[in-house]
Amino acid sequence: MAEIYKLIHPVKYFNDYISRDIRPDGRKFHEQRNIKVNVNSLKTAEASAVVKCGNTTVVCGVQLELATPKAEEPELGFLVTNVELTPLCSSKYRPGPPSDNAQVQSYMLSDIFSNSKCIDLKDLCIVPDKLAWVVYCDIVCLDNDGSLVDACIIALMASLKTLSLPTVTYDPETEEIKVDPDVRTPLKVDGCPVATSFAVYKLTERNILLTDPSAYEEEMCGGLGAHFTVCLNKGLICGNHKFGGSHLLMENQEEVLKIAKERANLVVKVIDSCIKNEKSIDK
Amino acid sequence: MPLDYRRFNGPEDSVSYKRFTKDYLKSYSELYNNLIDEKGRRKDGRALEEARSMCMFFARTDMVSQAKGSAYIELKKTKAVCSVFDPREIPHQNEFSQLGQLFCEVKFAPFSCPNQRRTHAPDADEKALSVALRQALEPTVCRHLFPNYQIDVFVYILENDGSCLAAAINAAGLALANAAVPMYDIITACSVAVIGEKMFVDPTEAEEHLAMMTPEKEGTNHGIITMSMLSELKQVSDFTQIGSMDTDCVTKAIEILEKECENIVPNIQKVLVLNVVQCIEQRKQLEEEAKEREQALNAKMEEWKQLLNSG
Amino acid sequence: MGAEEKDLRDFKLQPMKCELNFLSKSDGSAILSQGDTVALVSVNGPLDIKSTSQSIEKSTLEILFCSKGGKPSVADRYKENVIRQTCEKAVLGCLYPRTGITITIQELEDFGGFLSCALNCACLALLNSGVSLRHVFACVTCGVDEKGEVVLGGRGCDTQISCVFDSIDKTLITCFSEGTYSEGTYLEAVARCRAASELVFAFYRDVVSKYSNAI
Repeated sequence: MAEIYKLIHPVKYFNDYISRDIRPDGRKFHEQRNIKVNVNSLKTAEASAVVKCGNTTVVCGVQLELATPKAEEPELGFLVTNVELTPLCSSKYRPGPPSDNAQVQSYMLSDIFSNSKCIDLKDLCIVPDKLAWVVYCDIVCLDNDGSLVDACIIALMASLKTLSLPTVTYDPETEEIKVDPDVRTPLKVDGCPVATSFAVYKLTERNILLTDPSAYEEEMCGGLGAHFTVCLNKGLICGNHKFGGSHLLMENQEEVLKIAKERANLVVKVIDSCIKNEKSIDK
Repeated sequence: MPLDYRRFNGPEDSVSYKRFTKDYLKSYSELYNNLIDEKGRRKDGRALEEARSMCMFFARTDMVSQAKGSAYIELKKTKAVCSVFDPREIPHQNEFSQLGQLFCEVKFAPFSCPNQRRTHAPDADEKALSVALRQALEPTVCRHLFPNYQIDVFVYILENDGSCLAAAINAAGLALANAAVPMYDIITACSVAVIGEKMFVDPTEAEEHLAMMTPEKEGTNHGIITMSMLSELKQVSDFTQIGSMDTDCVTKAIEILEKECENIVPNIQKVLVLNVVQCIEQRKQLEEEAKEREQALNAKMEEWKQLLNSG
Repeated sequence: MGAEEKDLRDFKLQPMKCELNFLSKSDGSAILSQGDTVALVSVNGPLDIKSTSQSIEKSTLEILFCSKGGKPSVADRYKENVIRQTCEKAVLGCLYPRTGITITIQELEDFGGFLSCALNCACLALLNSGVSLRHVFACVTCGVDEKGEVVLGGRGCDTQISCVFDSIDKTLITCFSEGTYSEGTYLEAVARCRAASELVFAFYRDVVSKYSNAI
């Protein structure tokens, strides 16, 4: 019965739930979905992480390559992040080159990441002007059920925190490169940016914020993707993207910052405990 | 290659660091010796004829919440996800097609291969796998039931440790069943790598790599055969062979593969039955809850009626 | 109120210059310079578009962003998205179902703060084209200097916060930022931008009244 109602009167169906202070999936407005993190499950990648936030599933794989640094920035290495929205994660996506939406998600992720400055690109340089690491981080979405950027950032940070670089010896005269993959130094990661997404829904005169929205909720609030993403790193805001959705009032923003702070602490704990567990298993 | 302006690109001249490690250059015989230890066992402890189907096989359905049907298959390290979507009208088509069509796409994750990064653009490998997958699935699906419609089947390989096509076919068969697409039979697939006299059933990436290399001695058998079967109907739906080998070798391989394909069937059946049982249980629970709610509503109704009558 | 008035007097935005109907062939166009940054926007529509992208409920907005070099990039798609979502809120699309409105943005000079210039220019071009709008919008950028103080305009600062407000309730429609900053800074910047948006709206009024006097 409910399914038919949902099909015929999509807006009314959603309104009925929201006006009773509950969301269609049974969550409260500020309740988040469960987060599951698993690191190093893929052996072909240097470091990897699988993250599930509710139904949203993303996999991040890191690969290492060597290249000469750019002439204008001889002391910097490279870190390339890309988000891939595969056609299998939702019927909205078709095979082929990345859609506009995928590019927006990719940009948001790399913007948040570079703003947070949690990785110093100088650490990725081996010999200035000659040799530097290229860290390719590919984040693949297997199931898109909303709040994609949140999950992507968690996956990216979890895999970077487990990444270690092999030692490289470079002979400046012969330009010979030797790599010893057995002796590794872990990559320095400073802080951990955590993104929190909100969908903004306007119910008559009330502005309602839905934390960690699902794909259905994002759609009902209008437009693609979450509307408001706040990213915190060590208590500082390092990314703030709001577009589409309903307009925001001042008091909404204070509310948002409070929730984002709580969530940032929680996520950092989840990632750290997951990595610790993994290490204890290895030993 | 033209620059991909829809993605962030790294420097053009970057190369995998593994090229500079000690293990990178190895001769054919060295690689060959690495595959089998002194006791004639393979690296992961299997015997030559032992497939990963029995102990290292893991499958489940309902991986992807947004898809109609989906499956995940793990053959030890090889990991593949497949999702199937609702039939939709065939886009850009002028003629009416009597039979429904399958659109299959196999894609490797950029980090799926151990030695080098995969490019994002579909390469020849992926295209060949997609075609092989479509050919294997076409005979199993009752295509006459949805004329002029197409079903999308997407397979994504997260980690490649050999037998990709077999894993893709198994996953796709399971996902199609999960999506309740009418099918004639359960489809299973297996592959074998031939190197000289030896046959590696369900090969790993290293074994496949060696089987594809031209052996030092000319005229020796080498190559990979993948076969998919409809076990109940005893039909072969797809047979793909790469490399050169003599006819005796091929017939022997077919025998082995036939047996292996049948070995996988119970695994798939188990997953499907479990799926149905879960569905029924879930529905029962929902029905019970609905009944409870209805009772509560009825009770309220009676209360109001009484109130109205008395007042 | 007193504090706000004083604030307003202290505010100095980049000097803005604008010409409406800059292009003769399009339905509406505007060229806007904010300091050295210059954007040119043309609006065409409502027009017939191909049936796959039609919507029966409202008109479809198509945004084309051309950077100065002409090569497309991922960052351009992000900018397009920001502009699309902002304009979608402003345009009364339900008046033109099954049609498309195309907004083309050409980057002419970028000395920082281009996106905010493009957004303001798009708003002026929409006004010029005569497409029905719910409200106009203004984008204001704040910078944070080394001492952590919020400066309006703020070109050259590493940290920049940009906000778009509507003209009716002055509520926040769009927000995007660069760099890291604290929570207090953020709230202060939003308040500052909100007050400064008044100046931009006054500028709009000025431009439009001059233009309508001329015709």
